[in-house]
Amino acid sequence: MTAVAEDRFPRADWELRIENISKNFGGLQLFRDLSFVLDAGNIMGVIGPNGAGKTTLINVICGQLPLSSGKIYLGKRDVTGLPPHTLSRLGLVRSFQQTNTFKLATVRENLMRAMRFAGSGPDTWNLIDDLLDAYELKARLDEVSDSLPYGLQKMLGLLLAYVTKPKVLLLDEPAAGLEQRERGNVDRLVMHAQENIGCSILIIEHDMELIRRLCPHIIVLDAGNVLAAGAPDEVLSTRSVIDAYVGRSDDDD
Amino acid sequence: MNGFIAAGIIGISLGAQYALLALGFTLMFGILGVINFAHGAFYVVGGYFTYAAVSWLGLPFPAAVIVAVLLAGALGYVFELVVLEPVIQDYLATLMLTLGFHLILTTAILVIFGPESPHFEFPVSGAIRGEGFYIPYANLIVLAISALAIGAIYLIMHRTDFGRALRALADDRAVAAAQGIHPRRLFPLAFAVATVLAALTGALVTPMLALAPNLGESVLTTSFMIVILGGLGSIGGATIAAFVVGIVEAYSSVYLGGSQGALALFIIVLVILVVRPRGLFGSEFVGH
Amino acid sequence: MGAFVARIGRAELACIVLSVLAFSVPFLTHDRLFYSISNQIMIAVIAAFSVFIMLRMNLISFAVPAFMAIGGYAAAIAARNGLTDVFALMAIAFAFPALVALPLGALVLRLRGVYFVLVTYILSEILQLFLFETPGLTGGSNGIAGIPAATFFGISLGRYEYVLLTTAGILLLATVITAATTRYYGQQFSAIEENEVLAQSLGLVVWRYKVIGFVIAGGVAGLGGYALVTMLLTAHPSSFSSFSGVSYITYAIVGGRTSILGPVVGSTILVWASNLFSSQAQYSQGLFGVLIVFVIFAAKGGIVGTAEYWLKRWLRKRSDPGAGDDLAPVGRSKDAA
Repeated sequence: MTAVAEDRFPRADWELRIENISKNFGGLQLFRDLSFVLDAGNIMGVIGPNGAGKTTLINVICGQLPLSSGKIYLGKRDVTGLPPHTLSRLGLVRSFQQTNTFKLATVRENLMRAMRFAGSGPDTWNLIDDLLDAYELKARLDEVSDSLPYGLQKMLGLLLAYVTKPKVLLLDEPAAGLEQRERGNVDRLVMHAQENIGCSILIIEHDMELIRRLCPHIIVLDAGNVLAAGAPDEVLSTRSVIDAYVGRSDDDD
Repeated sequence: MNGFIAAGIIGISLGAQYALLALGFTLMFGILGVINFAHGAFYVVGGYFTYAAVSWLGLPFPAAVIVAVLLAGALGYVFELVVLEPVIQDYLATLMLTLGFHLILTTAILVIFGPESPHFEFPVSGAIRGEGFYIPYANLIVLAISALAIGAIYLIMHRTDFGRALRALADDRAVAAAQGIHPRRLFPLAFAVATVLAALTGALVTPMLALAPNLGESVLTTSFMIVILGGLGSIGGATIAAFVVGIVEAYSSVYLGGSQGALALFIIVLVILVVRPRGLFGSEFVGH
Repeated sequence: MGAFVARIGRAELACIVLSVLAFSVPFLTHDRLFYSISNQIMIAVIAAFSVFIMLRMNLISFAVPAFMAIGGYAAAIAARNGLTDVFALMAIAFAFPALVALPLGALVLRLRGVYFVLVTYILSEILQLFLFETPGLTGGSNGIAGIPAATFFGISLGRYEYVLLTTAGILLLATVITAATTRYYGQQFSAIEENEVLAQSLGLVVWRYKVIGFVIAGGVAGLGGYALVTMLLTAHPSSFSSFSGVSYITYAIVGGRTSILGPVVGSTILVWASNLFSSQAQYSQGLFGVLIVFVIFAAKGGIVGTAEYWLKRWLRKRSDPGAGDDLAPVGRSKDAA
């Protein structure tokens, strides 16, 4: 696993700290007193059975849903309750599980919009140049995003989040819907981010292999709480974690 | 003081009618996230179908009401299933379709029944009279039926699986979907229930007040107001707000007169919408 | 030249040209009926522009008649108090509703689109009641009659032909403002329309652009109200009914929400048709209903959007007869996968 990059980047405030957050919805308690820390520059995985509240977690961290209680810190700054666009400008950016692009716009327009809305500057094109090559998107810059195959649309969605030059990047099931041979693209993006931006990355995933490859540290969410935390191999062989998965219909494609 | 009490009783009966009306509307909004622009039109349809059943088919009033209401419900069910379902995720398309349907229904009524108010009376006349007050039996009957209908809706919402599923939907569509509650199958039925409520109100109230093709719009506006006051999506809130509005309206028409009361009410509603959009009791899904 | 056209946009340029052409009507004919219909159409186009600006962000505003009333009455009151310069009156007609839209929009546009719809609907009801309940200011149910003619650099615009020219002038201004706004904020508006959640997550302050659009749309509607008041020489509540709001929305949607030409085409065709069938006016709302349902169901881009689609297809087939049938209908693509 790649070690954390040396301090080339101003990373002091690129830590994401979640403190005792709870989320109730109607009669449902999605999580209670949940706490964890994503250290600056690290990559952390979040796994757990379906319905454990993983997507709600991202929605809550990114300001799309309000917290019932608790605090969220980006570095030293308390960002609890801030709206999505403010969080994004502060460097806390997410990707979406469903392909989330501007479907009627071309690939180029999509990326331009992302750079413009995030204020990340025209040199961002240089940043993603080799990724565009690798994903074979370079030749398709002027194609309408909706006409791309699903896998490429998904990668475009990830790129949109990436070109905002985030400090903390939250990936919501980046590999969902991708074919096995396409999953390496996610690895490529994560590596690229580590080397070029050094942002902290949180990955929510069902693909255990991907998690093992990319995340030196993972937490397991079950019934709204952290069931276990640690290195993947350790955690995945813990009895309680295995139990949590048994009996749940878990589509691990 | 009798006049004061009488106004109060009229206010309560008015409130019951409004509650019935608002219930259907808030079901739509809270559960499906749909503003049903055709709500007022279904009220008018309920009135006219009942009138037709009484005048053309010669049915007794209670039977006519039932027939009319069921027909309207069927109409609503089919409309939702065929027209709205394909675009239900798109709030703008759904809204425009219900608006279009409202226009079509209103014109159809106009074409079939003509622009003048038909002679349509509540079958029970007479009133409780006393020192300076006057409460028609019709109001009391409608109050009773409204109360029954509201009670039935509460039972459905809190005691049946259907109702529980609808309430879960109202809480959070995404979460409910993740838990395996499938919204799509329930929508036409929910829409039909809302339609039935609107049509029932129309069937009961139009013979007391007025029956004309163009009533739909003011009925819709009233429904908007009540639902906003009570909290969009909150059934309890809409009911309470309905009674508040009914009572306020009864007293202001006696003691204030004119549309000043209406203007004040509208402004209050607007202020609430912008300052506290979830109204008095609404739920939290406003922001995103 | 090509760059200029590209910058402004072909549809936008076409609209500006059309509104310049509108000035020629009084020189081409003296037919009163034609004047009346042209005047109505021009006013409808302005109102439909107001709807269009918000529609570009996937929002429906029912408040167009309300803002028209604010603009129209403000100008009428100013004219009655001695201010007759047409430019000043246009500025007033724009500014007053825009100022009302600002705080309202700031509060409401942070919420979901449905709340915006409700607020605009209630606003238009409030305006109607307000007009009736304030006879001291607005003349109540009588409105404000006998508005003095506007003056253009001192020349009175009272003659019938000049009224039409005034409307054409207002239309030109409204067209330029609408085109400029929707072009300048094109990327942001489109992003909000296509995927608001994504735009926000990338850092776009969505709310800010919605408010900008709402304020400008309010001002444009005010211009339309002024034109209406000028045409009728009276400011009267019946000119600003909520049904007219539904009509303007219909013109924009049926004409096509994807292009600035849409409101122009929709207004022209539907106002002309309504005049044609004016003896059966009460059925016009049924017709509008059918058109709305049809467009939403089968032709999302409206008349202009559908025409653009077929035109593109035809051009493609001409240049490459063997081309596959993969053209996106009104912007929607088939999945190539």
